[in-house]
Amino acid sequence: MISATTIRVVLPAHLKTLARVSGEVRLEIAGEPTPRAVLDALEARYPVLRGTVRDQVTQQRRPFIRFFACEQDLSHEPPDTPLPQAVVLGAEPFLVIGAIAGG
Amino acid sequence: MPEIEIPVSLPELTNEEILRYSRHLLLPEVALDGQKRIKAARVLCVGTGGLGSPLALYLAAAGVGTLGVVDFDVVDHTNLQRQIIHTTADVGRSKVASAAEKINAVNPNVNVRTFEAKLTSANALELFREFDIIADGTDNFATRYLVNDACVLTGKPNVYASIFRFEGQASVFATEQGPCYRCLYPEPPPPGAVPSCAEGGVLGVLPGLLGIIQATEVLKLILGAGEPLIGRLLLVDALDMRFREVKLRKTPECPVCGENRTIRELIDYEQFCGVRGEEKPATTTTMAEIEPEELKRRLDAGENVFILDVREPHEYQICNLHGHLIPLGDLPQRVGELDRETEIVVHCKLGGRSAKAVELLRTQGFRNVKNLTGGIMRWAEKVDPTMPRY
Repeated sequence: MISATTIRVVLPAHLKTLARVSGEVRLEIAGEPTPRAVLDALEARYPVLRGTVRDQVTQQRRPFIRFFACEQDLSHEPPDTPLPQAVVLGAEPFLVIGAIAGG
Repeated sequence: MPEIEIPVSLPELTNEEILRYSRHLLLPEVALDGQKRIKAARVLCVGTGGLGSPLALYLAAAGVGTLGVVDFDVVDHTNLQRQIIHTTADVGRSKVASAAEKINAVNPNVNVRTFEAKLTSANALELFREFDIIADGTDNFATRYLVNDACVLTGKPNVYASIFRFEGQASVFATEQGPCYRCLYPEPPPPGAVPSCAEGGVLGVLPGLLGIIQATEVLKLILGAGEPLIGRLLLVDALDMRFREVKLRKTPECPVCGENRTIRELIDYEQFCGVRGEEKPATTTTMAEIEPEELKRRLDAGENVFILDVREPHEYQICNLHGHLIPLGDLPQRVGELDRETEIVVHCKLGGRSAKAVELLRTQGFRNVKNLTGGIMRWAEKVDPTMPRY
């Protein structure tokens, strides 16, 4: 039996506003911590974020959003790929990065 | 490190220039030859706003020989909190004229080339070919993609930064060695999905931080010194003062720099990014809209119109129409506060968030909902000039 894991998630500014959070979000993941599990937990806690990170129908990452952790780009990894150990242990956050255009 | 084409015979420095750049000349990584390379370099700053201000000023101070500035805009009061190349006395002036004056004041040795025009698919390639490095300091997605594609097509490095609220991103794109902007973000957000700085705000010093990172990368590219931000995205969080770096890779299927590229000429970027520019209010042909003057007339006539304000509480404090405040993010949970039988006019600052609110209410069965065209800022312009603008 896998115990719950707390994953730190950093959201882009506009999604923090939408979800009404400041700083990092901490999510409890019951099973294997993967990008899909993190996003499922994120959307369950903040339903307003449904459709903003992943397409509501296809569940694909939206093309103006990227996922990173431990300096590595996880955007093109299969969504069920286990997260890096440093993220699982809470030493590093799972980064959701979005396109911004201000100048 | 990308090869920047600098003339074989570098320009000499005058005694005045040797004195001016003495702190550079003491750096082995710059020295006399490096300073001559800086003098020979031609850098185009796209935009003279928050990023372009420190970028242009520092590049001028550093001795970049030819500095191009392109912008179609004029200085307004809301620029002054962060666009430090412009002063209060410049309000109403062309930004490029204002910027050129300050650049010359900092360093009269710089050859400033001003382009008072909107960068478009019709002029970008020709303009970019006249420069060695392009620095992207624009404020909307359409121009971001235009700059990227034009850089890839002309083979020029794109020294990139963007900002929003307390966060910034910086990288060096469009080089043979690394990914381009489209590798990172193949498609822009739908219009209105990501607020602009005009809607969401931006800390005034943030473009200073990011613009100076751009200036640093420009100088490194000219000098061929250090490790450029190619294949790396720098993420800046000014609120926590945290700098993170993530690795980027080229996308093999990138339509502009990939192996089987499909974009071989510039496209219509307004269409690609949606009709709405980042700094402009949303307009849709299918949405019911009401002009501020019409709303005023109907309110004065005593008609029963419910005004719903979907901005944030701190915006409501600045100015309001005495409407019922439900921030857009709270609306799905608070639709129960609204009466389906009453006509509702929704507004925000510029019309983007309220357009989303109208769509959301429609899906919830509200039939008589209208969007206030241009938001409360249009109201301030057309109906109540005494209202504070922000």
